[in-house]
Amino acid sequence: MDPNQPEVENYANPKTCFFHVLFKASALAFYILSALFIDNFVIIFVVTVLLAALDFWVVKNVSGRILVGLRWWNEINDLGESVWKFECLDHESLARMNKKDSWLFWWTLYITAVAWIVLAIFSLIRLQADYLLVVGVCLTLSIANIVGFTKCKKDAKKQIQQFASQTIASRFSSTLQSAFSVV
Amino acid sequence: MSHGDTIPLHPSSQSDIDEIENLINASVHQSVPSARPPSPPRASIPVSVSAPSPSPFVPSNLPKSSSSAVPPPPPPPTGFGPAPNTLTEPVWDTVKRDLSRIVSNLKLVVFPNPYREDPGKALRDWDLWGPFFFIVFLGLTLSWSASVKKSEVFAVAFALLAAGAVILTLNVLLLGGHIIFFQSLSLLGYCLFPLDVGALICMLKDNVIVKVVVVCVTLAWSSWAAYPFMSSAVNPRRKALALYPVFLMYVSVGFLIIAID
Repeated sequence: MDPNQPEVENYANPKTCFFHVLFKASALAFYILSALFIDNFVIIFVVTVLLAALDFWVVKNVSGRILVGLRWWNEINDLGESVWKFECLDHESLARMNKKDSWLFWWTLYITAVAWIVLAIFSLIRLQADYLLVVGVCLTLSIANIVGFTKCKKDAKKQIQQFASQTIASRFSSTLQSAFSVV
Repeated sequence: MSHGDTIPLHPSSQSDIDEIENLINASVHQSVPSARPPSPPRASIPVSVSAPSPSPFVPSNLPKSSSSAVPPPPPPPTGFGPAPNTLTEPVWDTVKRDLSRIVSNLKLVVFPNPYREDPGKALRDWDLWGPFFFIVFLGLTLSWSASVKKSEVFAVAFALLAAGAVILTLNVLLLGGHIIFFQSLSLLGYCLFPLDVGALICMLKDNVIVKVVVVCVTLAWSSWAAYPFMSSAVNPRRKALALYPVFLMYVSVGFLIIAID
């Protein structure tokens, strides 16, 4: 691969990247700024949690699959059991994913969770149970996405390895077969 | 089929490659479907096709996750099930699907049918948007109705309802019931909808008798909607143990709606 490519390469899906960051940043910004300017807990709660929920939805359903080609969801099968599904694109498409996109995706995911943890520690120190509730909801949402996509990634890796070993095995056996057929 | 750009896996002979491909196809047909849980409603996953990637997929080296494609992958084998699916659909389709899911879930609660064959299947496609909106809306109406300590009322209402739903679900699980955690959360949240309507009416009308009547009606409606699902989840002998706390929570919410001033 061309070593200069990462610098030249630009975001493949700037719109998705924008929304991926927008709701995270606006939830955090609203929470931090409103603590300074607005003295109404209800407004702070509703707007912050709504923004965090929108972010959760965007990451889980839109930017996850467009930026890194992964998606997770839960489904209840016919037996009434809950099944967590982890989906990924095939290897070829995963390889074609934009590097900058996925870099942005993962780092903003982690940074948001860290920021909420820091805010949670602040509200713990100031003994504000109600603000802790807001931060708790937002933190839960962002950690849910981190866990989901990390599992997705592991699953994708497993599938690739599984298929690779399968391919090698079948190749080996076919080589043997052809060797025997020649004999 | 993109067999045209075949990369010679085995440059010695073309027939070998054909044989390999046949074998790959055969092995795919046999082994891949069983490797996945058999739940057809969504389109299935296009399974990754080629060589092992050098980059370990651990969260710490994020930027590398997509840069692993060094060897050009061989063409995807044929007969690989449905081609690219909801993973590559336009965003608008995703939005529409989720909205229609919310609407259909809400319908199940607004027009509950206790004689449905399998009430446990209600809200199988659960989502947490409904519970979120209904809990927040109930908190908002309660805090608007309250004359003092609006913030506290809202925070307490939200925490009580959210924790209440979790505890009620755990209660059913501890009673040995067969229930799915998020499905139950979703259902209990959706069942707040009638009480939301009641709270809204009570906020607009200031007559005590009207309030009591409205709350009683919406309370019955909520309990009626939650009843079939919760009762089918547990052993019939323990039904009351599971249903009583649910009823108690809705009653306390109804009491809050009437009492708050």
